[in-house]
Amino acid sequence: MRSLQNPDGGWPYRKGGGSSTEPTVLAFLAQSVDQGDPQSIERGMAWLRATQRQDGGWPPQPQVSQSTWVTALVALVSRDALGVSRHARAIDWLMGQTGREASLAYKLRNELLGEGGGVIGKHEGWPFFPGAAAWVTPSAISILALEKARRYQMAGGIQQRIEIGQQFLIDRICQDGGWNYGRANVLGVEADSYPETTGQALLALHGLPPAKLEKPLAAAQAQARRCQSAEGLSWLQLGLQAHGITAAGPARVFPHRHVADTSLGILAQAALRGRNLFLE
Amino acid sequence: MNHGMTRRDFLAVSAGSLALTRCSLVSGRQPQPRVSIVRAAYTQAIYDTVRRLLVEHRVDVRGKRVVIKPNLVEFDPGTTINTHPMLVHAALEGFRAMGAADVRIAEGPGHRRVTMDLADAAGYFETIPRFEDLFIDLNLDDVSQVLLRDPFSRLNSMYFPNTALAADLLVSLPKMKTHHWVGATLSMKNFFGLVPGSVYGWPKNVLHWAGIDECIADLHATFPRHFAIVDGVVGMEGNGPIQGKPKPVGVLVAGKDMAAVDATCCRIMKIKPSAIRYLLLAAGPRQLDEANILQIGETIPHVQTPFGLIEEWQNIRL
Repeated sequence: MRSLQNPDGGWPYRKGGGSSTEPTVLAFLAQSVDQGDPQSIERGMAWLRATQRQDGGWPPQPQVSQSTWVTALVALVSRDALGVSRHARAIDWLMGQTGREASLAYKLRNELLGEGGGVIGKHEGWPFFPGAAAWVTPSAISILALEKARRYQMAGGIQQRIEIGQQFLIDRICQDGGWNYGRANVLGVEADSYPETTGQALLALHGLPPAKLEKPLAAAQAQARRCQSAEGLSWLQLGLQAHGITAAGPARVFPHRHVADTSLGILAQAALRGRNLFLE
Repeated sequence: MNHGMTRRDFLAVSAGSLALTRCSLVSGRQPQPRVSIVRAAYTQAIYDTVRRLLVEHRVDVRGKRVVIKPNLVEFDPGTTINTHPMLVHAALEGFRAMGAADVRIAEGPGHRRVTMDLADAAGYFETIPRFEDLFIDLNLDDVSQVLLRDPFSRLNSMYFPNTALAADLLVSLPKMKTHHWVGATLSMKNFFGLVPGSVYGWPKNVLHWAGIDECIADLHATFPRHFAIVDGVVGMEGNGPIQGKPKPVGVLVAGKDMAAVDATCCRIMKIKPSAIRYLLLAAGPRQLDEANILQIGETIPHVQTPFGLIEEWQNIRL
């Protein structure tokens, strides 16, 4: 992991690539598990501080002139390390984001066309990219970021937004109990759930009573047994651990393919040992 | 991957090629596109078949950078959802044999982030030696911004992976499938996988809001140096691109003109090409006209295999 850190302090997705926000945050968190190399951590943090945009958000790569969902990932790192002001601006940016389907115009359109089945736009989630619809991954990570921010009581409405976001996730539970990347039903056909998104959603719903999540928790454990990727298994382990369940994975050991899934593997192993950095 | 091309280079290339595309459409002086339809199966013979296709179409890749773009969508141990690994390997070997300086395989799936694991499950690691060294995950590649001139969609610019922007030839290797949002997904729609998930997300929903058909036409205009080989050995009918059923057709369809290739595929699937909106936007009705396409190899009636259509798309039946 340390050997893959770029000279500018950030991490690439894969060896030789430019620094990107997502792998940098995940590598930073992974290094925080065992206190890592202080110099490496500080260089990573300096890169993150330097790439924040004027609007308070972060771009996925510095050459992209748009803040996106990765802002929620950055807001997961410690406020003290990031800086109080930077963290507050990131949270403000997140609080200002909703899926486009939550707009009044879109809701009206759905009413007129009889589309949406009552779920679309009912509860506000977060998009990957501003101006697009809300999806499970950015919504789950944003909820986790706001939960951390709530401890500092930085902005009004955070608790309400967390609850609405959680309801967004609950609305999207698939028939099989897990989560797909978006809606549970497309054109009348039930969507299959994915390990990555199921794990992320369970992490974001960690405060809910187990009785409310009986089916999703069972689905996640079943997914873990037949999972086909290290990244998927890591998210499931993180999500299930948040509910006190240790996921038994498949017999096969999966290769870690890049910085992000390697970091997630480290974070999942730490969670299995009782330290879930997404919830600290 | 960065081959040393600056953003200014990318902008100049894309703007120039876009202008050329539009000019030739206006003047109507394009040469008649040639499209091959050849019988094929997922056997060793597919290597010779692909090589013959490249020779037949005089694909000059000597000293060039070639990027092969298959269609990797979902975990599927069968042959229905993803482009078959033997076809990808055959194309890789074929372009190498034709003298390409560098041949890479690259894809950026729309829904799943675990691209390498998808490829593993689809048999790519098993079939293609040193696959991991040859493969670029376009969702996670470094990107550059490209301005779209006269875009069909509501987007003025888009970010694209540097690997795709630096390619001298992009080879679209899609599956022959029906698609619940656009009717059919073939070589042109396959370029959706060039759009980086790290910027736009999983799915690349910004494109949906900007108009799926319009964005496909924009992608076609932005990447004009292309070649297409459609995997119609086993396609997918019904609720594609993921939940449909296998549809054996037993053909590969290839050519330099993606609109002509896709129009031919539509006819094989018994779908009206002019009812596929992105084809109409990208090429116009004349270019889709059967009389304006030079068919080589098998004839359409010989291989025509009607694909099942979901209720919403019954009106596109040929």
